[in-house]
Amino acid sequence: MDQTEETDAVNRDELIMQQQRQIEKEISDTIPLVSEEQPVDSLNNEYMGDDVYGSKVRDLAAKYRAIRRTRPDGNCFFRAFAYSYLEYLAGHKEDYDAFKELALKSKDKLVALGFPQFTLEDFHDTFMEVIEHVSPGENDKQELHKLFNAQGYSDYVVVYLRLITSGQVQEGADFYQNFIDGNCTIQEFRHQEVEPMYKESDHIHIIALCSALNVGVRVEYMDRGEGGQVKAHDFPEGTDPKVYLLYRPGHYDILYPN
Amino acid sequence: MANMAVSRIKREFKEVIKSEEIVQCSIKIELVNDSWTELRGEIAGPPDTPYEGGKFLLEIKVPETYPFNPPKVRFITKIWHPNISSVTGAICLDILKDNWAAAMTLRTVLLSLQALLAAAEPDDPQDAVVASQYKHNYSLFLMTARHWTNAYAGGPSRFADCDQKIQRLKDMGIDEHKARAVLSMENWDLEKATESLFS
Repeated sequence: MDQTEETDAVNRDELIMQQQRQIEKEISDTIPLVSEEQPVDSLNNEYMGDDVYGSKVRDLAAKYRAIRRTRPDGNCFFRAFAYSYLEYLAGHKEDYDAFKELALKSKDKLVALGFPQFTLEDFHDTFMEVIEHVSPGENDKQELHKLFNAQGYSDYVVVYLRLITSGQVQEGADFYQNFIDGNCTIQEFRHQEVEPMYKESDHIHIIALCSALNVGVRVEYMDRGEGGQVKAHDFPEGTDPKVYLLYRPGHYDILYPN
Repeated sequence: MANMAVSRIKREFKEVIKSEEIVQCSIKIELVNDSWTELRGEIAGPPDTPYEGGKFLLEIKVPETYPFNPPKVRFITKIWHPNISSVTGAICLDILKDNWAAAMTLRTVLLSLQALLAAAEPDDPQDAVVASQYKHNYSLFLMTARHWTNAYAGGPSRFADCDQKIQRLKDMGIDEHKARAVLSMENWDLEKATESLFS
């Protein structure tokens, strides 16, 4: 490769990044970070005349009263989880107090695991501020919705949950190593798949976050598979779920059970 | 959103100037304008590398979406390194692209760049010519990198042979940097360098 080709390669890199930003901007201009509640059968609009999905949407609508959509930006699992759990906590004083305590302590634990104190504090403070805003009693549902649609707050919450998840993977390295494909080390996995924004979540992220925060999550899987019904999976298995999510390949939304 | 980037940078700036590395003069950071969107970084070449003794300037641009997207960083000081373009100063480093995380800071970036100078990754090159020299003619790579550190970053090692060859090309009317770049690319073969310049 001579020098002119190399300069071209540099520009191509730049162009790819620019185009990525452009696509992200288009998505962010048209889709809110978290939508209002919508009827479950609004999903049908996306699957006109598709029998497989049609019957699964009917099945889902029989179990859930509403869906709340999240922006497909790779952070959807973390954002959906946080919104849904905080919404639950706003109505459950005891769980709220326990979670606040756990959240308060989480910072020192992450510092001990080697995260940079300076940025950690930044995200932790914002995280605590958001928790403070949804304390039961105040119970202003609009407040949570407003915070989660303010990019700054919303993304800071996502970052902090990513750090908690990464810390959990580090702590349980022996266990999580079994779920990591190929030659990726735990460190590489944390730095490449968990900590960076916009990286999509997999089972391992869900399991780690649920165990770190001690929260049960039920995910309803909806894909092109046979059977005509959505498939529920609880994380960790056998727990009583507080958060309900819909998974369609590549994306998570929030569900509200009947 | 933009305000978030600025307030974060202001705090990071304080963090860097309080840090140990500043005290040891190994990294430095300065404001370029009042908007906090463009900064000037400086790293010292790490000991026991061909960059030892050199000071390398960096252009740092902070995007509006910082810290969720990485800062844009480029070497201003010319450098001979497999993962840095000898032409544009563009850097190939994962944390400046896909593996950036919002918990990282300018300090992390500067220290990672210093680490990159100490441990090149020739299999993931930014500058294919330098990478090839690194892999196939390591001793020549070391000399070239030291020579560039001397010429552009104030490093201590002079190589009379390099200087003479550059002088020969200068005598033919070639600009000094152009002469150095072509000779470096041609493994300091004066004949080949001349050929590539005049053919």
